[in-house]
Amino acid sequence: MRSDVIRVYKTLHTWTGLIAGMMLFIGFYAGALTMFKDPLERWATPPQQQKVAPADWPGAGQWPALIAATLEAHPGSARGFTLHLRPEENTPAPLVWREGGDDHGGGVARGTTLDASGDLVTVESSPSAMAELIDLLHQTGGIPGRGHHYWGVYAMGVVCVLYVLALVSGLVVLLPTLIKDFLALRRGRNLKRFWLDAHNVVGITSLPFHLMIGLTVIVFAFHDQIYTALGQAVYGDRPLFERPAPAPEGAPRGADQLVAPATLLATLRDVEPGFEPRELVYSDPLGPRAALRVGGKSEGHMLRGATRGFAGMDPYSGEITSLDYLPGHEDTWIDIVTAFFALHFGNFGGPVIRWSYVLMGLGGAFLFYSGNLLWVESRRRKQRRGGAPVRQRRATRAMAAATVGVCWGCVAGVSAAMVAGKWVQGLAADANAWYPAVYYAVFLGSVAWAFWRGPARAAVELLWLSALATLAIPLTGLVAWLAPSLPPWVYPRPGLLSVEVSALLAAGLLVLAARRTARRVRQGGADSVWSRAGDQLA
Amino acid sequence: MAKPKYTPIRPDWWSKTLAGGLLGFTLGIALSGLFAWLGPGGIDAVNKVQLVMWMVPVPWMITFSLVYLFPSGVHAWLWLGAANLAAFGLLLAARAGLAGG
Repeated sequence: MRSDVIRVYKTLHTWTGLIAGMMLFIGFYAGALTMFKDPLERWATPPQQQKVAPADWPGAGQWPALIAATLEAHPGSARGFTLHLRPEENTPAPLVWREGGDDHGGGVARGTTLDASGDLVTVESSPSAMAELIDLLHQTGGIPGRGHHYWGVYAMGVVCVLYVLALVSGLVVLLPTLIKDFLALRRGRNLKRFWLDAHNVVGITSLPFHLMIGLTVIVFAFHDQIYTALGQAVYGDRPLFERPAPAPEGAPRGADQLVAPATLLATLRDVEPGFEPRELVYSDPLGPRAALRVGGKSEGHMLRGATRGFAGMDPYSGEITSLDYLPGHEDTWIDIVTAFFALHFGNFGGPVIRWSYVLMGLGGAFLFYSGNLLWVESRRRKQRRGGAPVRQRRATRAMAAATVGVCWGCVAGVSAAMVAGKWVQGLAADANAWYPAVYYAVFLGSVAWAFWRGPARAAVELLWLSALATLAIPLTGLVAWLAPSLPPWVYPRPGLLSVEVSALLAAGLLVLAARRTARRVRQGGADSVWSRAGDQLA
Repeated sequence: MAKPKYTPIRPDWWSKTLAGGLLGFTLGIALSGLFAWLGPGGIDAVNKVQLVMWMVPVPWMITFSLVYLFPSGVHAWLWLGAANLAAFGLLLAARAGLAGG
C-alpha cells in the first residue's frame, strides 16, 4: 500500500475517531444496557406502582366491559389506550393511557380495571423513567432538547457518519500489517503496543457489527431527510406512503360496537400461532381512523420493534389490516428492512444474542476509550535523556481529561441514577425527576473533576467512583431484602435479580481497572500523561 | 531516499470532505432512485420505498470513505460530479421512459 494513502487515512482515522469517540462511548455503553430495557424497566418500577395486583387482573371475558366503562368514564382515553394482556412489574393496570403530553411522553398516566363486582376502578401512576433515561442516553448521548426529533439524535447521526469513516480508515491503515498482526496481542515492555493490539483485535473482529450499527444509526437519524430527497428526486408526484382511508360515513362506531379482544386474538392466532400477543394498542378508537395494533413476541423471528412484532387490525370489523410487521408474514421488501432493525436491536435470538450484543456494545465502548488513550499516548512528549520532566501539550492533557471524565462519568452516572431512584422512592415528590438530575450531576461533576485533578489521578478516582456506584446496586438490593421497611425494593425473581448480579460483576471489573490504572499512575514515567507527576506539572 | 514514482495524493481535507458528504449523498439518492424505478417491481411495488430509503447510506458512505483516495479535491469534485450527472441523467431517462407505462 502506498505510504501517502496510509498517511491520509491515518489522519482521517485519528480525527474522526477523536471527534466521535466520546459520544460513541456513551451510545454504546447505554446501548449495551438497553438490550435489557424491558427487564430494567420492570426492575426500576416500585411495587407501589403496580396499582392492580396480578391476582385482581380481569380475565379476557371482562375486557369488553372494561373498555366500554373506561371510554364512558374517561373521555381522555378516546385518544388512544393500551390494553395489557398480562400483569408485569411495569404494567400499573390492565388498561392504561396518557392524558396531556405528546408522542415523547409527559402528561398524566392513568389506568383502569374492574373490581370484583364489575365496577370501574381508576388509578394514576407514574411509570419509572429510569430505563427511558438510559435509552435516551443511548440515542442522544445525553444531549438535551428536541424539535421534531431530539437534537441529540441528529448529533448521533453525524457522529455515526464520522464513525463509519473511522472504521473504513482504520481498516485501510491496518491492511498492510493485517495478516502479520492479526490477533496478535503483544504484552511486553511497550504498553502502548499492547493497547494498540487490543484496539485492533476488537476493531477487526467486530467490524461487521460496527458497520451495521453505523449505517442503521445514520438511517435512524436522517430518514426524514432521505425520504424528502427521494420524494423530490425519484418519486415526483407519487406518494411515498399510502395513508389508509378513513372509514366511510355511517361506519359503526362506539364502545359497544368494538369487537371483543378475545375474538381479535383468536383471529390472529389462526393466522400465526407462534405469535404471543402482549398488548393491544388502540388509537382514536371512536374516530373515523380507529385502528388497533397488536404488539407481541415471536421466538425465532426478527422483530421490527426493539422487542415487539406487530399486527394491524380493524377494531370494528375484526379483520387483520396489516401483516407487514407480523413476524414471519412480512412481504419480501419489508422482510429485508425488518432485518436491518432486528440487527440493530439484537432481538432475533433470545438471551444468547442479547448478551452477545451487550458484549459487542461494551467492546465498542472499549474501542473508543482505547482509541482516545492511544491518541493521547502517541502525542506524548518524550522526556529528553537526562533532562527535566517535560510538560505535555495542553491539548493532549485536555483530551485525556475529557476522555476520562466523559467515559467514567457516564458509567458512574448511570449506576448512581439507578441507585438513587430506589432510595428516593416515597420520599421525593417526583421520584422520576431524580434519574436525570442524578445522572447529569454525576456526569458533569466527573468531567469537571477530571479537568481539575488532571487525567491521571482522575482516571483512578473516577474508576473507583464508578465501581462504588455500581456496587451500590446489589448492596441496595441486599438492604431492601433485609429491611423491607426502607424505601428500596427488590424483586426476588431470577430474571430481575440478574440486574444485581451483573452489577456486582461489573463492579468487580471496575475495581480491577481502578487498581491497574492506579499502578500505572504510580509506576509510569514522569513524562506520561498518566502519571501523578504529570498532573502536578500541569 | 528515492523519490516515489507517483505524485503523492493531496489531503485537501475540506474540498474532499464536502465532495464526499454532498456528492456522495446525491449519488446515493440517484442510485437508490434507479433501483426504485428499474429494480424488481418497478416504482409502484408496494412497501418497496422503505428499502429504497435504507439503501441510500450505502453508496453515500462508500463514496465518503473512499473520496480521500482522489489525487486532489478538484479530482474528487470532477469525478463525483460526473458520476452524479450520469446517475441523474439515467434516472431522468428512466422516469421519462417508464412514467407513462
